[in-house]
Amino acid sequence: MTEFFPPFVIYILAALVLPLLPNGHFRSAVAVLVPIIGAMLIWNLPEGLHNQIPFMGMELVLLRVDKLAMIFGLIFSLAAFLSILYAWHVRDTIQQVSALLYAGSAIGAVFAGDLITLFFFWEGTAIASVFLIWARRTPGAYATGMRYLIIQIASGVILIAGAALFYRETGEITFDRMTLGSIGTWLIFLSFGIKCAFPLLHNWLQDAYPAATVTGTVVLSAFTTKLAVYALARGFPGTEILIYIGAIMTLFPIFYAVIENDLRRVLAYSLNNQLGFMVVGVGVGTELALNGTAAHAFAHILYKALLFMSVGAVLFRTGTAKGSELGGLYKTMPLTMIFCVIGAASISAFPLFSGFVSKSLILSASAHEGHYIVWGILLFASAGVFHHSGIKIPYFAFFAHDSGKRPREAPWNMLLAMGITAFLCIAIGSYPAPLYALLPYDVDYVPYTTSHVITQLQLLFFSALAFTVLMRTGIYPPELKSVNLDFDWSYRKALPAILRSTVGIISAIWGGIIGTAQALIGAALVRIYSVYGPGGAASRIWGTGTMVLWIAILLGAVLLFNFVELNRG
Amino acid sequence: MAGMTENQNEDTSKFPALGRALLFLDKKENIERVVRGLYILCALLVVADFFYYKKVYFAVERFPGFYALYGFFMCAALVICAKGMRLFLMRSEEYYAPMDVEAEDYPEDGLDRERVDD
Repeated sequence: MTEFFPPFVIYILAALVLPLLPNGHFRSAVAVLVPIIGAMLIWNLPEGLHNQIPFMGMELVLLRVDKLAMIFGLIFSLAAFLSILYAWHVRDTIQQVSALLYAGSAIGAVFAGDLITLFFFWEGTAIASVFLIWARRTPGAYATGMRYLIIQIASGVILIAGAALFYRETGEITFDRMTLGSIGTWLIFLSFGIKCAFPLLHNWLQDAYPAATVTGTVVLSAFTTKLAVYALARGFPGTEILIYIGAIMTLFPIFYAVIENDLRRVLAYSLNNQLGFMVVGVGVGTELALNGTAAHAFAHILYKALLFMSVGAVLFRTGTAKGSELGGLYKTMPLTMIFCVIGAASISAFPLFSGFVSKSLILSASAHEGHYIVWGILLFASAGVFHHSGIKIPYFAFFAHDSGKRPREAPWNMLLAMGITAFLCIAIGSYPAPLYALLPYDVDYVPYTTSHVITQLQLLFFSALAFTVLMRTGIYPPELKSVNLDFDWSYRKALPAILRSTVGIISAIWGGIIGTAQALIGAALVRIYSVYGPGGAASRIWGTGTMVLWIAILLGAVLLFNFVELNRG
Repeated sequence: MAGMTENQNEDTSKFPALGRALLFLDKKENIERVVRGLYILCALLVVADFFYYKKVYFAVERFPGFYALYGFFMCAALVICAKGMRLFLMRSEEYYAPMDVEAEDYPEDGLDRERVDD
């Protein structure tokens, strides 16, 4: 058991030092270097448990290194590098620092060997990332950030509650394979599910990602949800319920993606759908499936970042990411358009692009285990992804009807970040061997077979055909300025309305009680006053003499009573 | 449809070279060519199904053009269902709160900005 320099520490150190550096190219260069150093540290970690710290009779493991942690650690480093490069021009210290802390927390969580350490970094990602939303400094972003923070912190609180119950039950805090059954494991599962955007727990994602800053969304897209996928792959591989949860996750977001106007929210829905594929992989739980989940997470982080970068560049130059306001931008932003199309081809799993060599592992694994309905859903979801992410995003941003907007091409640093990401998407798709070598298990899978290439091309080109036919016949729904109700309606509208009306009813009842009591007391007072007050009936009848007489009688009675009592004793 | 310029006399000399090279996408007849190319490609892909041994997991995959039909009809169904969902899910942008979905303030002449917070 030797001590190693934990990779997350470099991020925290950099976040502390960064505000002291002059705000300019030098500071950006330092920030970009951090993930490179971090990746080198990760690369050189030997497998095993390191940096064990005794803590209140338990043993914390800061570094648990194996192939699963390794691939997630490396892709998180790569994502941090690309998104910080993309944000080179940002001079907002809050965003610079929170991006580093966020990436560092995610990497720390991946190497956490116990539930307490995991909890610490789990909350770290929540707190660091919310500043990327608040940094937009609009009222909408502030409110969204609050909702996001509450949900993310709740996920952490549920995690620590689950960990405590798990400890009481087993006497262990090791973060390893668990079986659903006790309340403790269910709570841990729920906590992972919130961050993984399970159906009905998902709306924080579509709420928060379009609300963050241009560069913040790129950072956000990489870490939180994939950390949750990692946690599920670590804690609950082969848990059957995940197959069905994942299948639903691939399915329903694509419907929303078709009618959503905000292109960054479209991407958030398709991110949710892609997570579904990974969750199915975890649920199937075979070596092929878990390899698929890891490979798909790796490829997905890159192409999703690329898509968010290209739409972000459009937002940066035009001030809007709404499909209804955009169109015709290919004329003046052709490079951004090409990068966007590469990202779109990758998420759609075109042959030679990264999605093709990663998603198919999961589809094959589910088919191999005989889950044919799930396989059919995944196939439908694959076609649907091409439809809304592959065609809709580039089409409505860069082609469609000419919006008349003639923005300049994206800044150099954005183009560079997009260029590197696009290169990686094609490199992984064309030559998957290095990616396969990083996977947790040995890979015995050949993505490029005649059957696979032709069937995939059929699926994709006929989806494109459907788009063309629907577009030409005018059936395709136009992009409209609007929002669509999703499950968040329950806590943004229904619950507040219920609370408001409950408060209304309670205050009405309270007001009624108080009012009635006041009226009764008032009436009684008036009555008493009218009888006993000056000029009242009582004072009219009983003159002063009568009162004196009565008091004398009363005193006489008391005297008599006492006299009788005394004589008796 | 794709790329209809309202102002045909627009000065395109300020566009990047790559953007100018792609301006053929603005012409209607070229769009027609792209669409026709798609039709031909689709036809070829279905024909190709008869000329190789398809390695499959499920019997249904053996049906010639299964993936083509599945892709086409499922996508058409997806769009039509989603369009139907609009009837009862669509609300105005201000439904939850005013300015809920707006970007930060952004001046028209800010197209040349280099920083988000300019």
